Amino acid sequence: MYLIKEPLSPSSAISLSSIVGCGTRSFFHSPPSTLHELPPPPSLSPPTTTATSATMPTSSAATLSSDPILDRLSSDDSEIKLIAIREVKNHIIGNRTKKLFYIKLGAVPAVAAALADSDSNSDSDFNLIVQSVAALGSFACGVDAGVSAVLEAGAFPHLIGLLSSSNDKVVDAAARSLRMIYQSKLAPKYDFFQRDNIEFLLSLLRSENENLTGLGAGIVIHSCETSAEQNILCYTGALEKLTTLLSGSLSQRDSSLESLAAIIKNNPEAICKFVDLHSGRALSSITELMKDRYPRTRLLACMCLICVKNSSSSYLQDIGIKTKLVNILLELLDDSGQVGDEASFAFSSLIAEKEDLQKLAFDANAIDKFHSVLQKHPLHPKRLEGVFLALADLCSKLECCRSSFLSSQVLNLVVDALTHDDASVRTAACICLRSVSRSIKNLSAGRFMSERIVFLLVRLLSDLSTSVQVASLGAISNIVVDFLPHKSTFMQSGGVKELVQLTKAMDSSLRVNAVRALRNMLFQTDKMCKEVIFVELTASSMASLICDPEPSVQEQALALVRNFVDGCVYSVEYAFAEDGIILDAVGRQLRKSPTVEVGIQGLYALSNIASGNEFHKDAVMQLLFPQAENRSQSFFNQFLQSNDNHLRTAAIWVIINLTFPESPGAFGRIVNLRSFGIVSQIKKMFNDSCMDVKFRARFALAQIITFGDS
Amino acid sequence: MPVRVLENTAPSQVSAANSGQSSLQFCSLLGVGQAFSGTQNVSSLQKDEAWRVNVRIQGCDLEHGYLCGTMEALNVPMADTPVVTFWEGEIVDTKNYTFFTGKWEATPEDDIRHWTKFPSFSPLLGQVEVDGGKSLDLSNYPYIFMRWKEQYFVNVGTDCGLTIAGFYYVCFSCSDGSISGFYYDPNSSPFQKLELKSTNDGRSGFSFSSYELQ
Repeated sequence: MYLIKEPLSPSSAISLSSIVGCGTRSFFHSPPSTLHELPPPPSLSPPTTTATSATMPTSSAATLSSDPILDRLSSDDSEIKLIAIREVKNHIIGNRTKKLFYIKLGAVPAVAAALADSDSNSDSDFNLIVQSVAALGSFACGVDAGVSAVLEAGAFPHLIGLLSSSNDKVVDAAARSLRMIYQSKLAPKYDFFQRDNIEFLLSLLRSENENLTGLGAGIVIHSCETSAEQNILCYTGALEKLTTLLSGSLSQRDSSLESLAAIIKNNPEAICKFVDLHSGRALSSITELMKDRYPRTRLLACMCLICVKNSSSSYLQDIGIKTKLVNILLELLDDSGQVGDEASFAFSSLIAEKEDLQKLAFDANAIDKFHSVLQKHPLHPKRLEGVFLALADLCSKLECCRSSFLSSQVLNLVVDALTHDDASVRTAACICLRSVSRSIKNLSAGRFMSERIVFLLVRLLSDLSTSVQVASLGAISNIVVDFLPHKSTFMQSGGVKELVQLTKAMDSSLRVNAVRALRNMLFQTDKMCKEVIFVELTASSMASLICDPEPSVQEQALALVRNFVDGCVYSVEYAFAEDGIILDAVGRQLRKSPTVEVGIQGLYALSNIASGNEFHKDAVMQLLFPQAENRSQSFFNQFLQSNDNHLRTAAIWVIINLTFPESPGAFGRIVNLRSFGIVSQIKKMFNDSCMDVKFRARFALAQIITFGDS
Repeated sequence: MPVRVLENTAPSQVSAANSGQSSLQFCSLLGVGQAFSGTQNVSSLQKDEAWRVNVRIQGCDLEHGYLCGTMEALNVPMADTPVVTFWEGEIVDTKNYTFFTGKWEATPEDDIRHWTKFPSFSPLLGQVEVDGGKSLDLSNYPYIFMRWKEQYFVNVGTDCGLTIAGFYYVCFSCSDGSISGFYYDPNSSPFQKLELKSTNDGRSGFSFSSYELQ
């Protein structure tokens, strides 16, 4: 079970006699708290809240009011009501099942109604308020259904209002409950751009009451997402105030670290301000906290430092700190709880896209470490997901990591996870397979083209989760590049039909990935494999994909055509099926001023067709240089004059194939090319800055000149 | 330190830039899927022999100075079928790899002795003798130097009677796509020459396929 730790509130330990007896009096004589310094709370109401205190209890409570506990929660006798609330609260603390039971029963609106009906200025209602606030917080702790119920019952504004109570205990209880709510994504977004709200937040952070500072930090962690929100927190003093909490209690340190990370993440401006704070002492304090005795503090310190390091090339770039981060995060994987689960995600954010850090992690035996984590059973889905994603990042660039991965037994464990119940785990396993299958050495050795892997991945193509489908397509895209012509294992899996189906998906990420998988499958494949794909896909579908609204799909579709017409000369005929519908689509797309990537693939497709026989060459000639076209403004010149080296190269290859000297019609085509100004343009490329373009231009000119230079 | 190539005959493309760290330029004739065919001369004092050889490029990563592919030897004595091997290449880009091999039993002297067999290497010799060519900028040089090391047999067992213990010193011409190479293995005949030309599968022109790993 995955238990979110729920602190017992002090008030939950109050004995019954102290609630109903004279013990309650003492609470009202406590000294004035710092709460009096708080400005009036702003009008915070959750957007989802429709009920108010006047309309409670809600219908769900009403329909179940025959239950004795609900009757007692709604009793007119305040003592009966108080005992019932306390009873419910004590039942649900730390017990998810009971929380869900009471939520379903309709207890939350009843407790919220009790709170709304109480008088915060009345001594006699004090215990009722503290107990109902604590119960509501407990419902919200770690259970989204509880958060929803509390918000829908309209309790949120009351809890905020209680922060201004003159009684410390009430304030503490309200702050704790609100913190629980703010730990959920369902909590209402805090609007930092309202002046009252930012002042209220700063007053929370300035407070000496730990629950209030914790609530302030919780609000920042929950609601600070955009760079504008990060900047406003930087420039109104929240950042500074949060750094002072680094020297506070354990709870304050942790919430400070987490909220600081929220403010500086991906924001170089905020990081600059943060690093300069207190002459750099804030950053030093966090670096020190990497060695803290508490694992959670170490993790949060690492996460904060990763934010600083990832957003700027100026800070924390020395190898010492990088090695420390790698080692600490790997050590934290040993934590069996939430810290261990989160450590692998933090590790991913540290090494993703960074080859130097991946090498450091490899040297620190990270693959072995993750392997040993995977051998512990059973593992929480979150842990599995994190480990697979971390392994995916580790193997994303370096062959040494992939070799180490494949020489251990990790691959089997990843493949096993393709059938996991949790969609996030299935997705992560596919992403991991995708990453490790970037190894050309192992692709060529057929390491991944096994029945087990292929059949499981193909099955995931019809998964209910789009993320799983996309991730599976990514892995399949790589695995089908096995450099063997027949692709028999994949053919037997029924995967071609599934891939073709997905090229017709509404979701463009599915379409582009499905077309890419087919394109990769067609790389250097044999006639039979091409025939199967062509029959399943059809020429008209290929033409539609070439003209897809998404440029990324167009690019992959043209690359697919390019591979179709590669290989033996017979293959060129595919472009001429159904009255040349594919060739027409390629021509239309190239005339639309396509993106560079689309242009490159389209030109190579035409170049391959132009390497066929006379008929093929003439068809390409007619497509690019029709007789009726204005010869001084050929659209083909835009490709020869492009700033992109690859596009110019592709364009020249088309010309090289059209002017292939052994072809009988070469002379006539050269005459036409001259009239379109193509030959003079290629002459200008004789000393092109790109070496490949220069040599191809010279090659083309050498061919043209064999027929004379005029 | 900037280093100047001393020879007057040096092609203008050899830069004396102090970077020495740029990746080599992409050459479409060395892209994935490209095929080459030719011979490997295995002559020794006792016999005069050459095998027909086909090479196909399977992967190319200029950023990491990496190239790989397969090599097929066709008329190998005592072999029933053509023998296919998978090889991985180190591209001498002076960033990831220099002219000095530093492994596979090749000393700097062995390296120089083999590289100097390529006429296109001579303008670089002076600097290579100093630092393995580390300070040269080869990004505009019309030849690409590589080492190809066979990693495993694709279609036969290791008992096929052939060895892949050695490696090839290779020079690729960006202008016409031709490849020359010399096999080096202290235990085999020295300077077995590999000569390959770009092929086009019987087409009237050049064809290019591609894949994209995710």
